[in-house]
Amino acid sequence: MDLFLQTALNGLVLGGIFSLAAVGFSLIFGVIGIVNLTHGVFVVAGAYLALVLHDSFGIDPLIGVLPIGAVLFAVGYAYQRTIIHWAVSRASVEASLVVTFGMAMVFRNLLQLWFGPDVQAITPSYGFQSVAIGEIRIDVVRLAALGASMVILLALALMLARTHFGRAMRAVAQQPLAASLCGLDVRRIFGLTFGMSAALAGASGAIIGIVQPFSAATEVAWTLNAFVVVVLGGIGSPAGALIGGLLLGLINAFTAQYVGPALTQAMMFLVLVGMLLLRPQGILGAAYGETR
Amino acid sequence: MTRPARPLAVFAALVAAVAVALAPEALGPFHIRVLQFFFFSAALATAWNLLGGYAGYWSFGHMAFIGIGAFAAAHYAMAFGGGGAGPASMIAPVAVGALSAGGVALVIAYPLLRLRGIYFAIAMLGVSQIAAELTNNVGVLKGGIGVFLPSPTPAGMPPERFFYYLFAVLLGLCLLIAWAIRRTRFGYALLAIREDEDTAMMLGVATERWKIAAFVLSATLTGTAGAIYGYSLGYFTTYSVFRLDFSLNMIVFCLIGGIGTLWGPTIGAALLLFLTQVLLSRFLDVHLMITGALVVATVLLMPGGILRAVGELPRLRPKREGGT
Repeated sequence: MDLFLQTALNGLVLGGIFSLAAVGFSLIFGVIGIVNLTHGVFVVAGAYLALVLHDSFGIDPLIGVLPIGAVLFAVGYAYQRTIIHWAVSRASVEASLVVTFGMAMVFRNLLQLWFGPDVQAITPSYGFQSVAIGEIRIDVVRLAALGASMVILLALALMLARTHFGRAMRAVAQQPLAASLCGLDVRRIFGLTFGMSAALAGASGAIIGIVQPFSAATEVAWTLNAFVVVVLGGIGSPAGALIGGLLLGLINAFTAQYVGPALTQAMMFLVLVGMLLLRPQGILGAAYGETR
Repeated sequence: MTRPARPLAVFAALVAAVAVALAPEALGPFHIRVLQFFFFSAALATAWNLLGGYAGYWSFGHMAFIGIGAFAAAHYAMAFGGGGAGPASMIAPVAVGALSAGGVALVIAYPLLRLRGIYFAIAMLGVSQIAAELTNNVGVLKGGIGVFLPSPTPAGMPPERFFYYLFAVLLGLCLLIAWAIRRTRFGYALLAIREDEDTAMMLGVATERWKIAAFVLSATLTGTAGAIYGYSLGYFTTYSVFRLDFSLNMIVFCLIGGIGTLWGPTIGAALLLFLTQVLLSRFLDVHLMITGALVVATVLLMPGGILRAVGELPRLRPKREGGT
């Protein structure tokens, strides 16, 4: 029983981090309708920035989340306003899939040239402590990571629901044409959405850095994870990302514990393919109605 | 687009065949190997193009069929022997490899082809991951420890030259099939599916059946290539045949050359492989960046690929842009 509870807890903690890593991807997919295959690179870039901040300046990754988010926001905004915008306007929304894929290769190569191909990890001072509740143990790092993820997700959900920018974003997601007729600057909102998505990815990367080892090559896995989370939970909303992420975390933990650690990927994709066939819109459905 | 075969085209094909047959006499082993890899890649890309280019169903997981073809061939050869010696020993295992890939495709075709666009692409990626992990972890399949295929090279012939010819023939076969399909009802049905599947269905095109046929054919050809590739390796484990970069390269070659065209995949493969294997063979560090930048530039500057960009220069602007 303890083993079962421990596995469930590990899965939920892992899932919380998956949720944060996927929510930006989900936002772009829901609002702009683009599958951003560069997403994983933003996650890994966030982890590398956190590593630099931690090793050179002694800044804790959980505080580093803020400057890293700011930097990646600028990168994401510029990226959408130039390359993504060109791809969508000159070719098609589908072509943007290929463009983001090509850019992911370029960015991954750049990261490899800068930081080397080795696997890196961030070890903060509290890295080896853990708390025990009865027989169940949990690392302080993972707890902190989970807490930070939840705070960021909650902030995002509040922003989408309550602020003017959040409403504008949802309006653009539902009907870009109508939104622009109402006086919203759709292109600017697309840019800001992309920036925000990249900032969220970078923040999640900083948090992932203290929990898991990473290298430039792991970006593919983070992009795929994000896709699976979105398909499981539903497109476009923080709640969908949260549910999908937690589910994915549980699937991972239980497969590793009871089936075999080598089969987690296979199990993940099995659930994904099954989900696509049975309920392609995800558990919560698309957040922005039938317009996409 | 289709034209009756002209004597000129037949003549050009004959010249190309003779050039391919004689080229190894003038080249060293390294360049023969590069060309061999080019034929292999172009054949894969042409096979992918049947489904991805003609029908518009982009598979991100065609490496599954390479792996299935190679492993099925190896297991058949290890269990029953090839029958005969030299090149003849390849025939039965390669056929088994091809049929296994096609059979797996037939089983998964009906559920998977109900998905469209990016969802189909990612589902195929999932299928290829599942196939790779199962091969690697299920003991009987021996993916983790590796499998052997006996060398089929006839006595007195360098192996790279033997496989050079083999892959050249395979590429010729793939091109012939792709060319033939474009001229038949099958090809028109696939193009109709790519352009607008619902309308095609409404107009009485049996979309379901044609899609499945294209998928299975594409998988069978990919499986054949995989089985022969397995022979050229001799000994291989899961991740020497289930390679994600194979899946991606097929798409990139088609994209750069011109997706949905007959010669596009071959031209794309030739261009990119020449660039990365020959011109930049000393700069391994930046291969990924160059490939990525080329992909981005191709989509931004000529969304239909090189062939369409060249073909459209003298004409008026076409009504539609590129493929899906």
